[in-house]
Amino acid sequence: MDRAQRDELIRLIASPPPGSKIAAAKEFGADLTLLVSMLELTPTERLKRLADAREFVRELQAAVRNSTHE
Amino acid sequence: MNSFLAILRVLCEAQVRFVVIGGVAASARGLPHLTYDLDICYDRARDNIQQLAAALGPVHPRLRGIVNHLPFCLDSAAISNGMNFTLTTDWGDLDLLGEVTGIGGYKEVKTFSSNLTLFGLECAVLSLDGLIQSKRAAGRAKDLLTLPEIEALREIGIRVKPESGPAQTPSDDPDSGKHAEHEESD
Repeated sequence: MDRAQRDELIRLIASPPPGSKIAAAKEFGADLTLLVSMLELTPTERLKRLADAREFVRELQAAVRNSTHE
Repeated sequence: MNSFLAILRVLCEAQVRFVVIGGVAASARGLPHLTYDLDICYDRARDNIQQLAAALGPVHPRLRGIVNHLPFCLDSAAISNGMNFTLTTDWGDLDLLGEVTGIGGYKEVKTFSSNLTLFGLECAVLSLDGLIQSKRAAGRAKDLLTLPEIEALREIGIRVKPESGPAQTPSDDPDSGKHAEHEESD
């Protein structure tokens, strides 16, 4: 995504066309800025981010388990 | 090495015919949601089932969510006799689907996919149209919850076309895949 596309996308999610799926997702409560962040990445980078998040959650859960056993 | 890469590499190196579906496909397409397992739809042709069983053998697939002492061996016969398998492996959780709700078997799912380069591997990945169709058909609360974002993502792709991200090869462009034949008119 180049800078112009990113700017267009940010404008689009800030003021989505009424009746659009983007507007519906915004009304639903989706954080569309996260979509922008993901779309700036390559598919591999997106999966690395997913794997990192998954690992973080696992470490967090292990830490909670350990702290409750102390 | 992360577990998604490890399992994808095992499958690709064995030339198993499959399509990445589910949460990993959604993430690869840009959905910012967390998922813990890799879901694939596999070709149920006999040769592919043999390749799949042989490829997964070294990562010790076991049925997930059942008592551990139940004997199970994911060989060609087991895959042929079954359809969908929820597994855990040495590299994490893996779901094998012979059919995807709302789409069909591997051949149909493949037409709703395009290739993405994931960790240097060329993988068929379910398109946003395919994800929308399968989640609508599944109709479960957890599927329906993700639909607004996936539909927004698809609309963004049509309006801005940024889905492939920066510095991608042409094969990373999901718009170049066959799923374009299935564009839905909302």
